[in-house]
Amino acid sequence: MRKKGLTRRDFLRLAAVSPLAGAFLSGPYSKSQSSKSKVVLIRDKNALEAFKNPDQEVIQKMLDDAVTTLLDVQDPVNAWKTLVKPSDVVGIKSNVWHYIPTPAEVEKAIKKRVMDAGVPEKNIGIDDRGVKRNPVFEKATVLINARPGRTHHWSGMGSCIKNYIMFTPRASAWHGDSCADLGKIWKEYNLREKTKLNILVMLTPLFHGIGPHHYSRKYVWEYRGLVVGKDPVAVDSTGVRILQAKRKQYFGEEKPLQPPPKHIFLADTRHHLGVSDPQRIDLIKLGWKEGILI
Amino acid sequence: MCQSHENKESQLQDLLPSRINGWKAQGEGEFYGPESIFDYIDGAGEVYRAYNFKKLLARKYSQKGQPHIHADVFDMGESRNAFGVFTHDLEGKKMGLGQGSTYKGGLLSFWKGRFFVSLYAEEMTEKATKTLKDLGSIVDSRILHPGKKPSIVLRFPQQNLIDQKIHYFYNHLILNYHFFLADKNILILDENTDAALGKYRQDGQKYILLIVHYPSVQKTSRAHQNFLDSYMFESKEKALIQTGEGKWTAIQKMKDSWLVLIFEAPSSSVVEQTMKAVKNKLP
Repeated sequence: MRKKGLTRRDFLRLAAVSPLAGAFLSGPYSKSQSSKSKVVLIRDKNALEAFKNPDQEVIQKMLDDAVTTLLDVQDPVNAWKTLVKPSDVVGIKSNVWHYIPTPAEVEKAIKKRVMDAGVPEKNIGIDDRGVKRNPVFEKATVLINARPGRTHHWSGMGSCIKNYIMFTPRASAWHGDSCADLGKIWKEYNLREKTKLNILVMLTPLFHGIGPHHYSRKYVWEYRGLVVGKDPVAVDSTGVRILQAKRKQYFGEEKPLQPPPKHIFLADTRHHLGVSDPQRIDLIKLGWKEGILI
Repeated sequence: MCQSHENKESQLQDLLPSRINGWKAQGEGEFYGPESIFDYIDGAGEVYRAYNFKKLLARKYSQKGQPHIHADVFDMGESRNAFGVFTHDLEGKKMGLGQGSTYKGGLLSFWKGRFFVSLYAEEMTEKATKTLKDLGSIVDSRILHPGKKPSIVLRFPQQNLIDQKIHYFYNHLILNYHFFLADKNILILDENTDAALGKYRQDGQKYILLIVHYPSVQKTSRAHQNFLDSYMFESKEKALIQTGEGKWTAIQKMKDSWLVLIFEAPSSSVVEQTMKAVKNKLP
């Protein structure tokens, strides 16, 4: 009789869902579900005025183009009106990590469109570590999730899924098994339905981390992109593919993310939060193609 | 605050100078313990907790027109923990500091005695790089007592070992960081065990050697059986199995208190020769 638990061999048999296959193991795709998740990858050569200094106008246009394409509504304000209504209270969940935070330009672009859709400014909050004490977030009926994509020392990837760890009473309680069950947070704290949009900021991603701070300027590159979608798992899965491709390009060989970002795969297979299999992601690429990597 | 805490903090502070090459310390620095470390370094704090660290002193140095330098000095309590946390990331150029050191991408790390030291410059200017080395030399000279490396690292055959890198640990979360084995602690690793992992390459194919030393025969047997039940349930007798992608996994109990495990070996003969080589190195 076999003891229960999840082993490497189980992943070999069941879990080899690319892009995590590259990050983790190899094998066939999961075919358990049939619906596709739509994700927009948009890049603009002029997205940065200087390193880590985005151009506000270009960012606004990138966000508008991504959202109108994602929602298939021509006008950006009308597109945002399908996400939020004037009576909503909107929390924009950002990320303040010192080395690569959610850029103020991205926060501002989101806020502008939420206001254009009729939500009064007093009912919009932007926060990260203070979300549990923020009155706007306490009353929020809608969440917009925006964070930088990067490698992460303990979860493999700093992902949109992981960005919600701050809604829990004790973040470190979710660190077990390389943060395997972060997807559960979304259901347990009633965040899944409230979240209308996920934006993985890939303007200057970190593709490899070192030392206690998991950062070196050497491993940051100017990808100048945003990955946008309603499904956080599909957005993160696309982000993993970009980071993996960059690592392969830089190191000259397959160098899987360490530890493997299995929380993204498990958010799909264990917690049914979304889709991680690229074959089930309808990826639309807009804008600048040079160095796109995927 | 009790006196031993104060002593530990003062010992850490004594290791760092207040000025170096024009950089000036911004105050005395901040102290963090196992519960507060996440206030400072996010998820990576789990690594230091897994090695039972006691106290961290984080001090920032500044100089006009130059990048900030962050000095993080960890009191790991015991030298095996300082060595272990150093082996967590062995990438980089050796620098001849402490009892083992690396430098890469503006980060200089070394271990000596019960201390692990990480010095990081936010940008890699020529002056900052030199200052990291100078600062490292000062801290090295102020740590008076070297420590002992865990002897388990001597049990690894050198032939085919990639870059001579061996990761030492006793926590299954760290094992999973280097090589995901199972979500449960199926090898029953804890503070009373010693474990180490090396990556090998033969004919272009990589494989993993994991050695664990247990404090008792009973615990060794329990871990052995646990692994067979969890990981090799269909091949318990042979303790050797060919997994889905044609690679070989094997486990052997040796000299009562050792478990030797090989993963992803390209052939059963590689398993056989590696097991033999380890056996010859056991005390």
